[in-house]
Amino acid sequence: MRQTGDVSIGEELLEERRRRRRAGDPRLSEAGKELFRRMTTGDLAGEFQAALDAVSDADPLLGGSDDD
Amino acid sequence: MIVVDEYLAVRVLSGDWPGELPDDDVVLPTSRHWRLLQRVHNPSGGQLSQLLANLPGDDLGVVRWPHPEVLSVLDPRPLLDEAAAIAARFGGTGWLIAETLAAGVAHGHRLWFGTPDNVGRVLERAASELGIAVHVVTG
Repeated sequence: MRQTGDVSIGEELLEERRRRRRAGDPRLSEAGKELFRRMTTGDLAGEFQAALDAVSDADPLLGGSDDD
Repeated sequence: MIVVDEYLAVRVLSGDWPGELPDDDVVLPTSRHWRLLQRVHNPSGGQLSQLLANLPGDDLGVVRWPHPEVLSVLDPRPLLDEAAAIAARFGGTGWLIAETLAAGVAHGHRLWFGTPDNVGRVLERAASELGIAVHVVTG
């Protein structure tokens, strides 16, 4: 019985941890969520990729010679 | 532990968990966090920079200091030796690719990207030779 209870508590803790992980950062506003969505899967994804590539291109130690 | 790129890190931070992503702790290599931070602290101009600058409150703090229950930034020190070996073996990788591949080797021989545009040919070829599965989330 004790073992069953321990497992149950452990599962509950894991499920709570999973729920918080999947919910994202609670500090982020709705405007922030919307902008992040546009950056990653929406109309700003191309500009986001260009911004990341520019950081690598400006620093050979970071970006190496991968010219994709 | 799931090693992700900047796209998936930002999606996870915003609560947009891709259905294809396994249910596990999510980690971002330091070099990829660095690229995000560069855009926060050194805007490149253009529409995206303006929109980021106009975000309310401390929204960018979410990227600067990710909530540890949501996203962790990998400690690069245990990866250094493997990353150096990878850089020497494949050449031209730079820290970004070498660290990402070393993280993939250390964490289940798999990497997760949010778009094929963020993978690159050098990483793709090296990952194949290192036995690392490169997953690209499509939805």
